[in-house]
Amino acid sequence: MTIKSINGCIGCGECVKSCPCDVIRMDHGKAVITYPADCQICHLCRMYCPVDAIEMSPEKSIPVVVPWG
Amino acid sequence: MTTHEDNAAPTRRDFIALSGASAGLAAIGAAGWAQNAAEIDAESFTNTDHATDVLVIGGGMAGLFAAVKAHDEGAAVMIVSKGRLGASGLTPFGKGFFVFDPKTESGSIDDFVDTVSRSALGTNNPVYTRQVAEHSRDRAAELQSWGYFDQTLAHRPFMRPIEDRDIPLLERVTITHLIKEDGRIAGAAGFRLDAEETITIRAKSVILCTGAGGFKPNGFPLGDLTHDGSVMAYRIGAKITGKEWNDGHSTRVDHPAATFDGWGDMFERVPSTNGVDVHHDLGVDMNYRAYALGNPVSGGPGAPQAETPVAGGPFVPEEFQRNFDSPPGGDGPPPGAGEGGAPGGPPPGFGAGANVGGASAGMAVHKSEGLVPINDRCASTVPGLYAAGDALGSHMSGGIYTQIGSSLAGSAVQGAIAGEAAADYASGRAASVIPDARLAQIRDQILAPLRREAGYGPAWVTQTLQGVMIPNFVLYVKKASMMQAALAYIEELRDHHAPMLRAANLHELRLAWETRNMILSAEMKLRASLFRTESRCSHYRLDYPEVDDANWRVWINIFRGEDGTMQLEKQPFGTWPAQG
Repeated sequence: MTIKSINGCIGCGECVKSCPCDVIRMDHGKAVITYPADCQICHLCRMYCPVDAIEMSPEKSIPVVVPWG
Repeated sequence: MTTHEDNAAPTRRDFIALSGASAGLAAIGAAGWAQNAAEIDAESFTNTDHATDVLVIGGGMAGLFAAVKAHDEGAAVMIVSKGRLGASGLTPFGKGFFVFDPKTESGSIDDFVDTVSRSALGTNNPVYTRQVAEHSRDRAAELQSWGYFDQTLAHRPFMRPIEDRDIPLLERVTITHLIKEDGRIAGAAGFRLDAEETITIRAKSVILCTGAGGFKPNGFPLGDLTHDGSVMAYRIGAKITGKEWNDGHSTRVDHPAATFDGWGDMFERVPSTNGVDVHHDLGVDMNYRAYALGNPVSGGPGAPQAETPVAGGPFVPEEFQRNFDSPPGGDGPPPGAGEGGAPGGPPPGFGAGANVGGASAGMAVHKSEGLVPINDRCASTVPGLYAAGDALGSHMSGGIYTQIGSSLAGSAVQGAIAGEAAADYASGRAASVIPDARLAQIRDQILAPLRREAGYGPAWVTQTLQGVMIPNFVLYVKKASMMQAALAYIEELRDHHAPMLRAANLHELRLAWETRNMILSAEMKLRASLFRTESRCSHYRLDYPEVDDANWRVWINIFRGEDGTMQLEKQPFGTWPAQG
């Protein structure tokens, strides 16, 4: 599920701005995981979050193409 | 060969033909052809027009220094970034910064350049290799003064010199077009990710600091890098080089897409500097071993032992051979190992456990792939257009990883040089006039995927491209028949899918443009790899396995021919092409 959950968001928007792949968007003042298929599981959102609200998972939400199957 | 315009509408006949063709492609998760469930109205877009002397595209290490130095040279500067300054592209993830300090190094800069050239089998451009050594200490000192080496996250330290200078910064803007008028650069255009707004920026000079790119692969943090800069530059006539080289980073067998996990704790480390340490790393030798002996490339059950002999494979100079095996346990590279890992240990990016090759599929060795420079100041073949860092095909390291930590340092050094050069170019020069009709045409092209009533989802086209380009037997272990087959697929995507991409919102509009760029980059990689009928550094062909010095002491330049088709030429090592 890539970026897994956001709990305790204070609406600062740091994660939205820091996500290279535009996975997170603001909705009614809170960060919402909007395009999880594009998450590259780099954890920048988690590292930029000032209140440690973001939980990550190592699993991709769509099938993964790798060179050796 | 017919190349469709982006706004060309599909005919009914095209549609019927495509339905048949697409059924044969890989079955994958994202929606393919469908009606466009538009969430926004393309007709409601506004446009904002900017003007500056020097436009810097890209907000990583190269873009930072390009903007700072162009400003300090007296130019009006603007930065536009697809993401956030210091938090997009590969800059946030590199932590080792090469510094050549004559006080502590036992060898001279000449020795360093010679060692790199021996490892790179002549593929490096010694002018740029020398440049990184000569300027790295000054750039590191500036970064130090901004607090870069005191933190884990680069955004705040990067903002300090930008705020001190009041340099305008546009973040979360995707640039889709470079604009050329009267034979020289005139500006760029794109759209905002957070508002229904196109952007045009008129500029006397443009510096592409757009980074590297790949096929949105799993296991390497370049999901936002799709070779946008070099593809846009190619479309306006720039020459592109280095497309045949391959970055050879691996990812973990368990959770291959988890880039953070694959790099141990490196993404959370504070950046540090390192001295001379030249390797011959991360080409395709490990991938060849996996191809010949079975996967994974290292570590874990089933991995061949490092001492297991394997016939053939890429040539590694004896002085640079080492044991690539992953450590049996632990949590990745030891702290302080910098970008390069421990001496004699695994290359950077090798976490513990079983590793599988191909994490960065679609990306070449840093600094080898991008716009062809015509001189030592990062100028491209298009007057007024410069590039720096991974957008410049400087061949600073050559077609293989040589100096540890030189990726970040090279971006800083080249960004600074390009910034000064672009400011000099813009000085005293009048801005080109861009006709309104041309701007209107560009805006129509930008928004075309939003207006399409039906079309291909960009995620589906990307996944189809990945299914063609990422398997190990296409670009990692190459042979003509397989690359020709892949090229047929890519031409199909180029001619019949790229012109029919749909987008329902601004996120998908960005994906649509990234997908178009990846398709063209894939074509470049296949054509360059077919053209180079030898093996050297990170380019390995089963059908031409030997280094061929008689014919291939050359770089390959790619450019758009007058008929719109992709052309290739040889550029002998140590020579520069002409401008224009």
